[in-house]
Amino acid sequence: MSAVSIAASNETTVLEALKAGMAHAMEADPDVILLGEDVARAGGIFRTSTGLFERFGPERVIDTPLDEKGIVAHGVGLSLYGLKPIVEIQFSGFIHDAFEHIMFCAARYRWSTGGQYSCPMVIRAPSYGGIKGGFWHSQSVEAYFVHHGGVKILCPSTPEDAYRMMLAAVADPDPVLLVEPVPLYRSLSSSFELDGVPAIIGQAAVTRGGRDVTALTYGPIRYQVEQAAREVAEKSGIETEVIDLRTLIPYDIETIVQSVKKTGRVVIVHEAPLSMGFGAELAAVIQEKAFGYLHAPIQRVAAPDVPYHFSIGDEHYRPNAKRIRLAIKRSMEFEF
Amino acid sequence: MVSRTSSASHSKTGDKSATSHPSSIPVCPLANAAANGIRQVIDSDGHLTGDLAEPDIPNDELIRLYETMVLVRAIDDRGWMLQRSGRVEFWIPHRGLEAVHNAATLAFDAKDWIWMGYRHPGVMLLRGAPLLQLFTQFFGRVGEPLKGRRLPTMMGDGRINVVPMTTQVGSYIPHACGAAWGAKLKGHDTRFLAIFGDGASSRGEFHSGMNFAGIHKPPIVFICENNGWAISTPQSLQTASATFAEKGDAYGIRNLRVDGNDPLAVYSVVREARELAPEQGASLIEAITYRMGFHTSSDNPDLYRKQEEVAIWEPWDPLTRMRKYLTGKALWDDARDEALWTRCKSDIADAVNQAEVLDFPHPATMFDDTFQDLTWMLEEQRAQLLADLEEPT
Repeated sequence: MSAVSIAASNETTVLEALKAGMAHAMEADPDVILLGEDVARAGGIFRTSTGLFERFGPERVIDTPLDEKGIVAHGVGLSLYGLKPIVEIQFSGFIHDAFEHIMFCAARYRWSTGGQYSCPMVIRAPSYGGIKGGFWHSQSVEAYFVHHGGVKILCPSTPEDAYRMMLAAVADPDPVLLVEPVPLYRSLSSSFELDGVPAIIGQAAVTRGGRDVTALTYGPIRYQVEQAAREVAEKSGIETEVIDLRTLIPYDIETIVQSVKKTGRVVIVHEAPLSMGFGAELAAVIQEKAFGYLHAPIQRVAAPDVPYHFSIGDEHYRPNAKRIRLAIKRSMEFEF
Repeated sequence: MVSRTSSASHSKTGDKSATSHPSSIPVCPLANAAANGIRQVIDSDGHLTGDLAEPDIPNDELIRLYETMVLVRAIDDRGWMLQRSGRVEFWIPHRGLEAVHNAATLAFDAKDWIWMGYRHPGVMLLRGAPLLQLFTQFFGRVGEPLKGRRLPTMMGDGRINVVPMTTQVGSYIPHACGAAWGAKLKGHDTRFLAIFGDGASSRGEFHSGMNFAGIHKPPIVFICENNGWAISTPQSLQTASATFAEKGDAYGIRNLRVDGNDPLAVYSVVREARELAPEQGASLIEAITYRMGFHTSSDNPDLYRKQEEVAIWEPWDPLTRMRKYLTGKALWDDARDEALWTRCKSDIADAVNQAEVLDFPHPATMFDDTFQDLTWMLEEQRAQLLADLEEPT
């Protein structure tokens, strides 16, 4: 798959892929419905659902009141009754009002009812920075949702993953948070078959092979990691293996450990804040499972523990290729 | 059946006797029901008030309703003692609240879904759950469908269409509303009941649920059981609205107030709301009652309310009123009452004896049902727990 910045006519953008995934799921199962703010007549503020209202009608593509808590909480109820709601939160920066209903309700109905009820639903969370959105519209909130079980978390970074992960999320028997890559919505496209085959949840992808250092990442920042990997390869001959985790809950421990045992060096990159972030979990599990293989301390490149800055955040808050490159070098140059 | 259906039927100025204000002269608002816009069938002596007509309930169902109310009271008496003697970890009393949930449950059909609160064991009993299942839940033992995972009285059972509630007060209002909306979207004739307290009306979920319900008209009856107190917070500190019912006006939802210690009135208005639901959508019913007991076994109501206030509700005890009503209809007498209480206590003793010797769940079962299929992370944590358990202490 090649990533290009302008969509060719036979290629699918991330936005189109998400829409194709929703349309396929809705075609296949009449219980699948879409609800959220402005998703019907307007097609969503990003136009992710353009045409679905016309195609599936007002009982399946539903404009809701401006109430994130209410959208998710009613999605919980709809799913309890046997529907499969896809609920859209306009920006993940607005998801906090719905946190209780994702983590304390949807994530726990199955457990707290002894398995009698469950909430198979998809919560769409357009996320990440790089769009000059300020901290309201550039949030990476995924780490808030990884702390206890009950919700699966998928982070597509390609059009094909967006399509197949949407299908996987709808098909899953438990609630799924789909962390959508806003900065890639229109800027990334590729060719693949819209064949209705869902992604397998829990599988990472090695997007670049390498023998020297393992870079673990997910979401759109993956492309900065790949850029840094190319640069250190060209300048210093360092071969970085880049792993796109794709799924945070559950993450692909086998692919991670296999790579770390080969390279002995690890750089973790995410654009959510550093402290207690998902990278901390990865660092902990790697030292548990591959302690004897490590040649250097695990490096983390992440956003600082501050809000996303409006005017300089895209350049200096998000990890960039230079910072990732420097972390790779620190890992390579470390001496006991 | 009820003829007046809108907020026009209740007072816009609130209860003339504000029982919830600590310094007011205590008069039970049920004593001035008409002036307070509170619908009634019977007065404190079980006589017809002439407001609502007697509901059309067969005699055997009337008796079943009363018997369940007594059983519910007896469960509370026993549960409290079990907690005070350290045999049950926690207790949430429901004394005085026997009318609303029992009568409302009777007004719904078995296929309808109910979200009950944690003071409503009669919902389970009227839907056919055995007493042993309840006490197994209270003791947190193996043998009930919730697998010992929830605090005592926080019950439910999908087999009888009682959804175990999310215990954050009010959080399940939009869940119930969403499920009702789902039934409507699927074209099913399933109807829904959600019972919550006065405190829940302050939560954003109340707003969300009412707002969505006003727009989409799902077949649901919301009962706001106004028992006077949200732990220590009286109505005057919960809302400046004169009534909880009138909040429905803002959302375009049919609403009314009912005497929550009059099971016949509760049955009437709830049954009517259920019948209207497919056409009119949701109703919000404020049931005025009183929490005679503590908030929970961890509470001390002497810190915030006077015994005189509690005392004004005694003459309006729902059990007394229902017993007098049945006696007036020659369906009941003192001998039957005594026999009923004896039977309830004996049945409860049997359930306690059987439940208390059941096992606690195995520690490894805490992982079950987190997901339909456990993740490797949970599998690994469970394996570690099991391995650690094998080690000598």
